[in-house]
Amino acid sequence: MASNHGNTNSEPATNEQIITEFFAKSLHIILESRCPYVSSRNYSGEQVLSSPSSSSSSSSIFWPRDKWFNLALKDCSAALENIDFWRQSYLEPMVVDVVLVQRSSNWDPLNCSPKKALVRNLSSKERYYWNSENDEYRNEVMSEKIIERWVVEYESKKCSNIGGGGGGSGSKRWSSTSSHTLYKKSTLLLRSLYVTVRLLPAYKLFRDLISSAQIGMYNLGHRVSSFVEPFTHTEEAEMQRFVFTPVDTACGRLCLSVLYRSSISDVSSEPSTPMSPQFIPDYVGSPMADPLKTFPSGPLPQGSPSFSHLGRRHSWSYDLYKASPPSGIPSPSPSYSESHATFAKPHSYRLPPTGVTCHLPDETPQEHVKNTNYDEYSPSPNFSMSPSPSPPTYTPGIHISNALKRSESAPVSIPAIRASGIPPLFYNQMLPPSPPLRPSKSSLAKMDCRSTLLQAGSTVDKIFPFGKDEAGRLTGVKISSNSSPQKSISRSSSRLSFPDDYDESEFSGPFVVDEDDMTDPGSRMTI
Amino acid sequence: MNCEVCQLKELVSLGPPEPRQEVEHIEVQCGDVEHEKKINEKIDHFIDRVEKHPNKKNQICLSFYEVKNKQATWFTNKVERHYWEQWYINLNTVQHPKTHSGKSHHPKVVVDPGETASEERNARRTALESSLREVLFQIIKFVNEKKDHVPPIPNLDGVSFPYEITISSSSDSAFGMDMLKRMLQTGHPTMLS
Repeated sequence: MASNHGNTNSEPATNEQIITEFFAKSLHIILESRCPYVSSRNYSGEQVLSSPSSSSSSSSIFWPRDKWFNLALKDCSAALENIDFWRQSYLEPMVVDVVLVQRSSNWDPLNCSPKKALVRNLSSKERYYWNSENDEYRNEVMSEKIIERWVVEYESKKCSNIGGGGGGSGSKRWSSTSSHTLYKKSTLLLRSLYVTVRLLPAYKLFRDLISSAQIGMYNLGHRVSSFVEPFTHTEEAEMQRFVFTPVDTACGRLCLSVLYRSSISDVSSEPSTPMSPQFIPDYVGSPMADPLKTFPSGPLPQGSPSFSHLGRRHSWSYDLYKASPPSGIPSPSPSYSESHATFAKPHSYRLPPTGVTCHLPDETPQEHVKNTNYDEYSPSPNFSMSPSPSPPTYTPGIHISNALKRSESAPVSIPAIRASGIPPLFYNQMLPPSPPLRPSKSSLAKMDCRSTLLQAGSTVDKIFPFGKDEAGRLTGVKISSNSSPQKSISRSSSRLSFPDDYDESEFSGPFVVDEDDMTDPGSRMTI
Repeated sequence: MNCEVCQLKELVSLGPPEPRQEVEHIEVQCGDVEHEKKINEKIDHFIDRVEKHPNKKNQICLSFYEVKNKQATWFTNKVERHYWEQWYINLNTVQHPKTHSGKSHHPKVVVDPGETASEERNARRTALESSLREVLFQIIKFVNEKKDHVPPIPNLDGVSFPYEITISSSSDSAFGMDMLKRMLQTGHPTMLS
């Protein structure tokens, strides 16, 4: 049918748009429930946007309905800042690491040497660094641990019949994975994701953080990148995997999975009562401690992170990597600007197309690193110390290209959280980026989407369907190739939600196909 | 049209469940006024039922449907509902046993009754939360595995497909009949035990 051909021509563009928005929405869902410093502004409960017809109490919070996937979410600038790269190309996986930053209470200043305190434990993905502020009486060791790793990726495959030119079998194949089907399944998948992020142990930590204005022993940060260092076998053994059933498209499938630690709930049991600043009389360097074990008050030796307000000379992640040998990070190449730049390598590591955005739970301004042009890339002084897998910071003189800026993967500092009562202690926490390593195929295969569910199983009695004689029928959804879904919804508002008959010429979903739009080449997405 | 039915793992609660109480920071808001009101009414109804009939197995059935054939007939104005998904939530409320008997096995041990009751309550709550979490994951698993039967997403400002909630208990004479009736309406799906 002619209409089929018309619809078929717009299908790839619409599918691409859905996939792109899926990445954005999934990132939003994850960060909204893991990024306390942005969410806390919206969590007060005072922001009540009630619908005009409601007369509910102020205890309910109603948000404007988000047009995409019918899923309204709170504002999350962290998600918006990180998604631009994947808007341009969703072929790269999106890896979101949720990092738990803890203040170590077992640190013994008398027995801890600077180097020991600063060595990054590569195998355990735990990093320890010395946090020294202006207040020289407070020397503490912070540790960070990846407690969750979310992977969103689109596995592409050869399209069997792209363009749908002629042939009954071709059009049938398109109909089985048409845009509205993809949209529907993506919507369901995102809702599952929404629930899952709130069921995992990290959510409890998040809730404790945003609900309590008191000083705690931990904090949450996150990193968004396209490539990360894979976990070791030991680490992965400590984590559990949850794999969502992929959503098939005509040319691939959308995959979503998470690796998470299930044994972090005890972190929040740390006392959260207000802690008044107190002097540690036997801090390292005090007369009461071993006079030989003094920490330098000036610039730290190479290989040590500096979180002093006095500024850093190096980002600690860079220094550590430099000190690490062969598995370390190769020097960035000036061609990093390219989305698929490659390093000069001994190993086939590849610089991620986008910088890892490290969002830190602090906002204390710090001096820029002198030996980098990172400043122009990262307006926030915080991130001048923490280069991401955006490698330009590692080598002096490297210019960050405009292409990188274009990808808008610049880390953006988290707004000041002093209002929330979190002490300066956490302001200097830096989440160094993961090294710009590209995992090997085999390790990437670990993250491939499997339909098996490894979560604790329960008995599920299901009634299997008779068949799918009607399941595959189109439901008359008009797909709009217009990039603005709002426009689509306004057109479809007068339509019934459930048409009596499945009619391709009508629509019942948020997507509306305007036949004029289908012929508009300008509305097509290009990758 | 096929109907997917899911029997969720039975939840056992000692004593009447506390409605609307946050369980392990799991947000239990729906976000829509009308749906919240409807759900709260059903919850209240369920609580009343449990309190009146303790030690009974109760079942909540959440059914999603499509409206078919709106034409009224001579005998009824009911519109035909075609159920495409049904969830059976089994809740078993057990009257919690008294924790203190007349004699103690350890007369020399002084037990603070308040602490013991509080600890037991916490233990029960923890167990219930764990079961609830397990059931929620079960729901997620099912939702993810079965998507083809779901109708197109309605373009409503609300949050959901049309649905209905029915509550029944093992003491009801219509307990089984209600289920059978739905099964007949949905076209004889095959029940797996």
